[in-house]
Amino acid sequence: MTNDLATLPAASVDSVLALAASPHFAHDRICFAAHESGLYRSDDGGSNWRGMYDSLQLTAPLTTTAVALSPEWETDLRVFAGVDGGMLRSMDGGAHWSITNMSAPPPLVSTVVVSPNFAADGIVISGTIEDGIFRSADRGSSWQPWNFGLLDLCVLVLAISPDFASDETLFAGTETGLFRSTNGGRAWREVNFPGEHAPVISLALSPTYATDGIVFAGTEAAGLFCSGDGGDTWRELGVDVRSGPVNAIVVSPQFARQPDVLVLLSSALLTSHDGGATWSDRPTGLNFEQEMSVLIAPQGIDQEAPLLIGCSDGGVFNSLHPS
Amino acid sequence: MPKALNRRVVFQPETYQGIQRGINLMADIVRPTLGPCPRNVAIERMSSIAAAELLDDGGTITRRIVQFADRDADMGAMLVRHLLWRLQEQVGDGTATAATLFQAVYNQGMHYVEAGGNAMQLRRHLEHGAQLILNELDSFTVRIAGKVKLAQLAESICHDHALATVLGEIFDIVGEHGHVDIRRAQGREIERHYVEGMFWESSTFSAHMFSDQHKLRMDLQNSAILISDLEITEARSLLPMLELATEAGVSTLVILASELSEASIALLLQASREPEKFQVVAVKTPGLGTLEQAEAMEDLAVLTGGRALLKAAGDALHKVAVEDFGHARRAWADKSYFGVVGGKGNARELRRHIANVRGLLDHTEDTHVRTRLLQRVGKLMGGSATLLLANSTDTENNVQEALARRTTAALRAALRDGVLLGSGRSLLLCRSKLQAMLSGSENPDERMADRILIKALEEPLRTIASNAGYDPGTIMVEVNRAAAGFGFDVRCGCVVDLAQAGIFDVAAAQKAAVYGAVAGAAHALTIDVLIHSKNPQYVAST
Repeated sequence: MTNDLATLPAASVDSVLALAASPHFAHDRICFAAHESGLYRSDDGGSNWRGMYDSLQLTAPLTTTAVALSPEWETDLRVFAGVDGGMLRSMDGGAHWSITNMSAPPPLVSTVVVSPNFAADGIVISGTIEDGIFRSADRGSSWQPWNFGLLDLCVLVLAISPDFASDETLFAGTETGLFRSTNGGRAWREVNFPGEHAPVISLALSPTYATDGIVFAGTEAAGLFCSGDGGDTWRELGVDVRSGPVNAIVVSPQFARQPDVLVLLSSALLTSHDGGATWSDRPTGLNFEQEMSVLIAPQGIDQEAPLLIGCSDGGVFNSLHPS
Repeated sequence: MPKALNRRVVFQPETYQGIQRGINLMADIVRPTLGPCPRNVAIERMSSIAAAELLDDGGTITRRIVQFADRDADMGAMLVRHLLWRLQEQVGDGTATAATLFQAVYNQGMHYVEAGGNAMQLRRHLEHGAQLILNELDSFTVRIAGKVKLAQLAESICHDHALATVLGEIFDIVGEHGHVDIRRAQGREIERHYVEGMFWESSTFSAHMFSDQHKLRMDLQNSAILISDLEITEARSLLPMLELATEAGVSTLVILASELSEASIALLLQASREPEKFQVVAVKTPGLGTLEQAEAMEDLAVLTGGRALLKAAGDALHKVAVEDFGHARRAWADKSYFGVVGGKGNARELRRHIANVRGLLDHTEDTHVRTRLLQRVGKLMGGSATLLLANSTDTENNVQEALARRTTAALRAALRDGVLLGSGRSLLLCRSKLQAMLSGSENPDERMADRILIKALEEPLRTIASNAGYDPGTIMVEVNRAAAGFGFDVRCGCVVDLAQAGIFDVAAAQKAAVYGAVAGAAHALTIDVLIHSKNPQYVAST
């Protein structure tokens, strides 16, 4: 079955809640979009989409709140989809799914990240709205709650260190603050983030986090913050990013020599070329009439690289092919 | 005979000689236990048929010694004993270091005073020097993190690889304030498990309330919790509250009460006859005594967002309002414990509450109260760890349990206050500051105090080397030649990069040992007269 997003059920607002792209997007053009109505896959960079839950023979739409692909996608075709009630796992690119149980009562998954060292450690971490953090060390087969030190169990966003294999560092943005784990997600400590600015709804780590300790944290109403010491101290960035929620932050893969950052607000896409000190609008060619909620940059954030932007009305736009 | 007539008064020079005998005796008893290759001290037990107790921990050894027959020496020995006891209680480590420092400072100081030095001036300069050493140690202190480093530190304290590995993992997870329950188990190896959420020793009023009758356990999901210490004697008093709960859409309810009549239990069981529609269980209010109960209720109220109904405040069941109920994602109970997971209290309020309990912890000296506060903070932080010790003979179990407790206290202190390079190296590094002070001073008492401290700071490394079978003089030369971060590793018999080899000392223990030993010895040097009983009632060790 092939669906254009425009033809998706219009009975309710079918917001895009998460996006994920293949690590080899430049070649295979594969990406996934998690919607209130389910999970969709595109094999052409976001132009055409098809529903992924046919094999489940659902009688009602299954709201999908998070999606992540294995870094070994090319060989294992593994997809993790967070839903209200637990985590779905596919090992064939989304054609078939298995439901992996988390502890009762069933949690509402809000975010999922996969270890960059997944081939060796098999670690997947998911955040939930009421039950904190769940961790799997067996490629998503089983999940255990790990909430030591996590004083707020409403987890909105997770970010994993690019050097997770050696530093085992993760950040969790919650309703009331920001937490850090330095042992692979098994214990959490609150970082010195100004709690009055929470909720923290977006996070991004520098590709060279292990050496520069740079973390960006976007809030719902208080703008964007940056830490240069792994989260111990924070400073607020630019007045331009204070207008509304910071829905997504993307850091350039070449951040160390070219400190470019992209920030997605509800109604604007901003770019900074100086690590967040100054900001300007990034033209995308899109005519935004609806709120933008999700952004991924599978090939980096250069002007000629495609950006995938999910919107609250259900549309997913490829910045290189706006329609 | 009246006590006053049975007193012996001792003057100089017997005073110094007596105290010195006692200090040397106690320090020599503890000295073999210093370092990663400690020797044991065997202590005869009270019961003549029991085997001698083998100990390698200075704090415990000194606790076993109640009195020496030599009454003059006994008074000196008790000065050391109290210091080591206090150190073990507070930081769990550093006792042998303290004993060697105490001995070295006192012996050198005594020679100086006997030769005409001023004891009071010497004491003042020794205490000033101790402060200088503490400042230096502060500047050398580094944080420790990660299960590998924590395990290495644990092993340097307990000398048990399996125990150290498990404790390293546990403290990497639960952190400085984490609650660690140490229990004896039936297994052949040391094990650990982690309990999510907060739990207390308590259970249901009736075993019929367990939903799983085989495991004697109940698990309720999305549960409302009525937190109280009420005595519920009238079954009918429950009815308005149960009605209120069902009207509010509560499908699972936990009632905490200090007493529940048989009729009330029957009513609750009757109300739960269709558990898929409504289930209610009653649990005894956790805590022994009014204070512990109040603390448990306070913690539970913050954690779940409820209000504690207190008998003492005149609360009653008919006064319950919907907003008084706490809520949790899961509540559970088995035959020994009651716990909640995913309390729906206000996360900011929870942080404030934890900060308050931590504040109490910082201002409490009482060991029992500290333990209780630490348990509360640990559990409020999100969970607990249970260390299950391997099953063995009673004697071995006791030794291992004591060892685990001591190592746990030391790891907590290390996470809280950091660590220093081990193998006596950090103490040696403090000598340069003292040397500079010595060079810049013309006051003979001050110069002597600096000399005494410089020499005393070498004593721990000399003892570590000697205990491991090396020549202390040779090792001292090798270490003095090495760069600042390098020190002697007795396990391989060579000078190594201490940080890389994971050879650390708990900073709090080292600092407490230095200050306690120097201040204690300096104080002992000012004692001129001893007065004690001629014929003590008992002289044996226990």
